[in-house]
Amino acid sequence: MKIWRRLVLVPSLVLTLASPSLGQDIEARLKALEDTTRAQQQKIEEQQRLIDELKSSPLGGAGAPGETETTARPTPGEPSQTAAPVQEGTTAKLTGIFGGSAMTNPYLSLIVNTFFYGSNLNQKELDSRTVPGFTNVPVGINKGFNLESAELFIFAPVDPYLNLYANIPVTESGTELEEAYFVTSSLPGGLQVKGGKFKSGFGRINAQHPHAWDFVDIPLNYRAMIGQEGWADTGVQLTYLPSLPVYTQFGMEVLQGKNDLLFNPDGTTPYAFTAFVKSSLDFGENSTLLFGPSFATGKARITTVADGTFFSGTTDLYGFELVYKWKPSRTESVVFQSEYLYRRQNGDLTDFTSSTTNPLKRIQDGLYVQALYQWERWRFGVRYDVLDLFKKEFLLAGDQQNFGNRAWRATGALEFNPSEFSRFRLQYNRDDSAGNGQINNELFFQMLLGIGAHAAHSF
Amino acid sequence: MRKTAILLIALLLFATPAFAKVKVVATLPWIGSVANEIGKGQVEITTLVKPNQDPHMVEARPSMILATRNADILMYNGLDLEIGYLPVLIESSRNPNIQPGKPGNFDGSHFVTVLEKPVSVDRSMGDVHPLGNPHYHYSPARILSVAEGMAGALSVLDPSHADAYKANLSAFREKVRQKQKGWSALSTKGRRFIAYHKLFEYLAADFGFTITAYVEPKPGIPPSASYIEHLIETIRQSRPNGILTTPIYGRKEVDFLAEKTGVRGIIIPHDVGATPGAKDWFSFMDQTLSELVK
Repeated sequence: MKIWRRLVLVPSLVLTLASPSLGQDIEARLKALEDTTRAQQQKIEEQQRLIDELKSSPLGGAGAPGETETTARPTPGEPSQTAAPVQEGTTAKLTGIFGGSAMTNPYLSLIVNTFFYGSNLNQKELDSRTVPGFTNVPVGINKGFNLESAELFIFAPVDPYLNLYANIPVTESGTELEEAYFVTSSLPGGLQVKGGKFKSGFGRINAQHPHAWDFVDIPLNYRAMIGQEGWADTGVQLTYLPSLPVYTQFGMEVLQGKNDLLFNPDGTTPYAFTAFVKSSLDFGENSTLLFGPSFATGKARITTVADGTFFSGTTDLYGFELVYKWKPSRTESVVFQSEYLYRRQNGDLTDFTSSTTNPLKRIQDGLYVQALYQWERWRFGVRYDVLDLFKKEFLLAGDQQNFGNRAWRATGALEFNPSEFSRFRLQYNRDDSAGNGQINNELFFQMLLGIGAHAAHSF
Repeated sequence: MRKTAILLIALLLFATPAFAKVKVVATLPWIGSVANEIGKGQVEITTLVKPNQDPHMVEARPSMILATRNADILMYNGLDLEIGYLPVLIESSRNPNIQPGKPGNFDGSHFVTVLEKPVSVDRSMGDVHPLGNPHYHYSPARILSVAEGMAGALSVLDPSHADAYKANLSAFREKVRQKQKGWSALSTKGRRFIAYHKLFEYLAADFGFTITAYVEPKPGIPPSASYIEHLIETIRQSRPNGILTTPIYGRKEVDFLAEKTGVRGIIIPHDVGATPGAKDWFSFMDQTLSELVK
């Protein structure tokens, strides 16, 4: 049969192409083609036989265990036969990077984040509650029921070189484009470029979506220095993963600088720059440590220092992240995490009420530490936040300003996760971050529900 | 002088790959074990998932990303079993060789006939795999197909050792054939079992036994107390030959059911290395089958 096919195939194709000078080359290519076809044919026959066997078996299995199965299998011929089906098989039955569900291209998922909020303060007190000396932006949530957002995620490969991601949170006040970016997949040398609008790789929590946070709200140092939703901005990111014995990722970004607390609210004074390093070590089979510094710098034109002011100058932000995970079994895990932020702003503060402009230099810091313990479908978490830990400098026209007592917050949370796609969280905060000693006892009951494509989680 | 230097450097650069082993990154222990049978001395294998981990619930540790970054070939189970971490690994690895569609992206499920592919599925059914049951590593016939695929993939990447891969495959096939004689002689046929998770369907199909009920009411959903009560009743009435589970799934529930009903609880390794005796894929199967008929 093989010889017969060669006899027919070769002359007919050679005649069609009618190019004798290329005869040898064509002969070789035909040989390859023919090998491939034969291998394919064999594979199909093999699969068919397996299907038939499965059909004929009363249990829907391979019938008499393997014995007949194995002996019936043909012995392999030339090496090319074993080589060819793989390539063919792989291209024929290709499943993509995000899994094989053929129904979803692009892949879609929707995550609904909703919570109940209770506090000992009244709504008016909550609406005017800020972190004096850091930010004049209140949290802006209502007592009672809140729909934080329904986050729509869309992702798919663009082509063999790029993957595209978009995150569109829909809130009661409207729709925004929180993220829309590409990531390269096939650059050589351990390089990767991300471009578009995305959450900056500065620090750890910043790049996480609110539904992936370990607590309902962002740590206090983020809220006071970056903003309660973190820093998502337009620009490009370059990361490099060298082939070292230890995981070390280097990254840098050029961004538009759109951030209320750090640079400017509308992106009118480009650019902001970041640089970060993330290293990781494993200790045995169950423990992993991840740590690294981050840095961001840019021009600042902000109105969030205090109400009725405008600040013009520069911002430098330094961070250090540390995560330790211990997962001895599928039912139990411990995660310890901490981030330290240090912000320096230097420039001029204009006060519109008194129409004066004075030099302002503020150097402030903040830290959070948190620990989570997971047992089966339950998870228990504690967190402690503190600002002005080592550095508390707010020099307006050379004079240190006082904003009351040191801001801190303590948090406890209990989660129940019925499945991978739903989470119920009860959280209590004791918040003393308003500087005036007024304590906010906060209670959250949060529900997170996800449908659609299974998005993979980063570490 | 300069030319000699350039020549030397060029030689060094191009000479290394000839001696270098093919770097295989396998997601699961059984994949690493089979790849080792086919690749033998020509490959260097890194296995990402540890035997004590649940393959459904693995996290992409940075060390896994680093291993994947340097891989010549990534071998995985497929059928969305690794969906929770593999996309992150493949993208973060920044490794062009292992991207989907490349010869270095090896999905073992492409070489097998899949059981239990649902016609329609949603998550009210629990953690049902939309592409079919992914736990085909208990099926000798399918593992042989995967091994053939591996030999082909390795030959494509490393043609100079194609003969070695072919020879290793023949040896593997022969060993499977020998082992099969022993395995099929065991009295597994016609037995009835209860299983904790939908993990043993391929084993049942290949070795002629049936799984009549599951301890999990739905895949991935642990049983409630009332469901356990109901199961005790079922087990007492139907008297199955045993209740199957693995070292990491539902030991507590299975022990409880076994104690209440007097039906034997059977711990089967879920992967190579999950029990001390399951050193490679063969001993993993030996142990699995001998536990069934004990």
